[in-house]
Amino acid sequence: MVVKKYFNESVENELEEAKRKIDSVLNQKDLEKIYLEIFGKSGSFTKFTKQLGKAPQSRRPEIGRQLNEEKKELEEYFEKKRSTLNAQHLATSIDITAPSKKPAIGHLHLVSQAIEEIVDIFKRIGFSLKSYPEVDWDWYAFEALNMPKDHPARDEWETFFVKSKPNAQLGNQVLTPHTSNGQVREMLRLKKPPIRMLNISRCYRRQVDVSHTPMFHQFEGMLIDKNVSIANLKGTLDYFAQKFFGKERKSRLRPHHFRFTEPSFEIDVTCGVCLGRGCRFCKSGWVELGGAGMVHPNVIKAGGLDPKKNTGFAFGWGVERTIAMRTEIGDIRLLFQNDIRFLEQF
Amino acid sequence: MNIKIPVSWLRDYLKTDVAAKTLANTLSASGPSVERIDKVKEDYVFDIEVTSNRTDSVSVFGLAREANAILSNLGEKSNHILPKGINLVLEPDTVNILNLDVTIKDLKLCPRFTAIVLDNVKIRPSPAVIQNRLTLSGIRPINNIVDITNYIMLETGQPMHAFDFDKIKGPKMVLRESTEGEKIVTLDKTVRKLPKGSIVIEDAERLIDLCGIMGGANSQISKRTKRVVLFVQAYDPKTIRKTTQSMAFRTEAASRFEKGVDLEGILNALSRAVYLAKTNANAKIASELVDIYKVKSKTPTITLAIKKLNNYLGEAIHPNLAVKILSLLGFEAKLQNETVAATPPSWRIDDVADDVDLIEEIARIYGYQNLKSEIPKGDIPISEKDTLEEVIGLKKALKFLGLTEVISYSIISQKMLALAETKRTNVVELQNPLTENWQYMRPSLLPSLAEIIGQNQFIRQNLRIFEIAKTYIAQGDELPKQDLQLALVLSHGDFFEVKGYLENIAEIIGREMKLKPNAKKHPLFIENQSAAVFSGKERVGTVGVLDSKITNYFNIKGAVAALEINLSTIYSLPTTAKTYKPIPKYPPVIEDISAIFAKQTPLDEIIQTAKKAGAPLVKTVEVIDVFEDEKLGVDKKSVTLRLTYQKSDDTPAQEEVTATRNKISSALEKSLLAQIRK
Repeated sequence: MVVKKYFNESVENELEEAKRKIDSVLNQKDLEKIYLEIFGKSGSFTKFTKQLGKAPQSRRPEIGRQLNEEKKELEEYFEKKRSTLNAQHLATSIDITAPSKKPAIGHLHLVSQAIEEIVDIFKRIGFSLKSYPEVDWDWYAFEALNMPKDHPARDEWETFFVKSKPNAQLGNQVLTPHTSNGQVREMLRLKKPPIRMLNISRCYRRQVDVSHTPMFHQFEGMLIDKNVSIANLKGTLDYFAQKFFGKERKSRLRPHHFRFTEPSFEIDVTCGVCLGRGCRFCKSGWVELGGAGMVHPNVIKAGGLDPKKNTGFAFGWGVERTIAMRTEIGDIRLLFQNDIRFLEQF
Repeated sequence: MNIKIPVSWLRDYLKTDVAAKTLANTLSASGPSVERIDKVKEDYVFDIEVTSNRTDSVSVFGLAREANAILSNLGEKSNHILPKGINLVLEPDTVNILNLDVTIKDLKLCPRFTAIVLDNVKIRPSPAVIQNRLTLSGIRPINNIVDITNYIMLETGQPMHAFDFDKIKGPKMVLRESTEGEKIVTLDKTVRKLPKGSIVIEDAERLIDLCGIMGGANSQISKRTKRVVLFVQAYDPKTIRKTTQSMAFRTEAASRFEKGVDLEGILNALSRAVYLAKTNANAKIASELVDIYKVKSKTPTITLAIKKLNNYLGEAIHPNLAVKILSLLGFEAKLQNETVAATPPSWRIDDVADDVDLIEEIARIYGYQNLKSEIPKGDIPISEKDTLEEVIGLKKALKFLGLTEVISYSIISQKMLALAETKRTNVVELQNPLTENWQYMRPSLLPSLAEIIGQNQFIRQNLRIFEIAKTYIAQGDELPKQDLQLALVLSHGDFFEVKGYLENIAEIIGREMKLKPNAKKHPLFIENQSAAVFSGKERVGTVGVLDSKITNYFNIKGAVAALEINLSTIYSLPTTAKTYKPIPKYPPVIEDISAIFAKQTPLDEIIQTAKKAGAPLVKTVEVIDVFEDEKLGVDKKSVTLRLTYQKSDDTPAQEEVTATRNKISSALEKSLLAQIRK
């Protein structure tokens, strides 16, 4: 073309030659050396620019534009090689132990983590989560659960009462000392079985020590259907123990007494340290998890269902307790002190 | 209720070769729970938890009876022995018969009353075995007569009392309800003011017993006591409970009486006590037996359908086995047309009332460990997704946005409550708070979160925390409004940062959220740096910078940006629908336009005006720069908008773009009095 004619193919050759040189370079330092050889003061490409002045006046703009295009092409070629070498450089010689640049990520409270896991486990066998009042009527928290007024069994729940006018039918307002108020509420809400309910809620009792805080989280499951058996309860609890604590863990039932279930049980899980053989942590090979039972006919009746046709089971435990069983937190009050250094550990 | 008993004592009434540890395990598996075993010399001491319905088992004898049933069913060699003396005939040993005049004003207060006078009593320390057993059970030995009363209580579960006969004036006893203002000095030398309606015994002159709870000091056994009234009763559980609750004073005897005792066991306990008094104190019976027994209605027979039993167990067991188990437990049981008919023994009548109670007895002795373990088979109910389940996902999303979750107490102090300036009638207050710090149910999560910022501000520079919990607003005589709230606070944060979180949250939740100026100042936020959050027409929360009243209260350095939104309301609103819009095939034309506006003109108004004027060619309008300068004039600001012109079927032509830009410019000039910068 025009340029070729003027410079006798030398520009074209110079371009090809330069590209070959660039291709053969192995490191950044050599690449910069070649750059200078081409574009430096007396570089091979610079000499063409210098010759431009000698070109006839009329052809200068045209030749200049052409030269610029060639130069631009070559510079891009350099740039590509530079970034390739750069990437190779980073890949080969960085200190991987240097601190990262990571986007901020927060932390979920241990209680939420446990709740999520528990809900997930029970969801897979058809239980669904439901929310009920935390300030509720005495009737739902006690009376409908087969605990008449002044019954000594109520002493086991150190209950907070709310300053308010008692309702003629439903009694006082209380802070729910357990999640079992959800039992009758759920039956009344659905009006017919099958029911597979989960209730996880803040609960309140008038106690503070290393294993008690006045507020805590309880978890409760209830199933109402036809011909529900103790074997079904055992199956459900074994399933949970294995999913939550580990495949090798088992649960067992021991006799207990609650007014709202009959029979009533205490649930134990095999100790995580000795797996049931007995060790110095657990003594017997088992650690206590929570309470359970077959829903009392009076409770089913209070829920508006026919206890002759429907049976069911319920179980529940403290979420904090399951956390204490899995971590080494001895004092559960730590969970609600909200020290950021504690929260960030999980 | 827990009871500590030495195994050697248990073995007096339970004859078996089974080792102590095995015994503990079998008891725990099918009956009361042995929570602790301590080895003391050659003996073991069991610490046993007995559930509140089984007062019959809070005794050595009751536990032996229970263990015997369990062991026998397991096929272990086991026998149950009756305590010595329980069938002793209570007839006077002396010629000189003493008389105690007993009157019970109301038989409902005391369904059974037995007493007998002993003479010739030698007060001295009990034999070593009794002292030792009492000590291991946690009771301090005193003297042979007082020790007998305690020993009998632990052994038979029946509380009893002994009076010094010579200190009873009359000698007579009148059992009645206390009247207003009566007092008694009890054995622990404490003056007790009695609530009206407590059960008391009065002699010819004064009160001598606070029945069922503690005896009077004026008639107590002393070293010089020669003649003793041994005394075993039952009281109306409700009345005893009322007294203990109103006096906040409960003894071991009281906690047994308020749950009810075995009326048929009362005379046996008295006989056994007399037997021990004869053996340990040379006592002689010096009176006729006093036994006032309000005839109890006959125990009804409970029938349990075999089918129901099997349904509960999840398997069929032989009906004869069910009958056998009940018989081992002292029930009168037989098979009757596909049912088991059973009458509970006297010590179980308060506890066993329904067929499900029989199921429990059969199932636990049969062994829960022997039942199958099966996941329930029935239909899985169809249920809608609850807000709580949505919240689990939301919490995770917030975590990945860099926020850390806290959980703080829902119960707060008066001072914390005051920060939120809740209307008096909306406050939920506890009737029986534990301490001043936990007195009110919180109406907002923000003061608690601010407190956490204050607490941690010197540990971490930038605290980004959130909590999701209910708040409580009283609603007259109804239950308080208990909505789930999300609160989020950022230390050293500003309005726009927290607004950014709000927009992200709206995206995560899938609900529209818009800011509007607060109608009136929110007590927790700075007035001119906060806004009301709306979703559609619903006010769902507030966003902004916390008022210095709050930050100062917790000594927080720097501004705290925060938001609190009502998740219960938000999740009840419909989600924003997402519809498909074709991805543009032709590139847009993008250009910027700058103009000077009055300072108070909201940016959103500028954007909306530009959008409206630029439609349909303008697809987006963004603010890319805002600045104020004296050169622009007083109370003026310069705003640069980035306009994106785009068409679905072509690249916008230069003429179209110019025409649209002119329309936008004149709209801004006309309706917002803008001055376009060239």
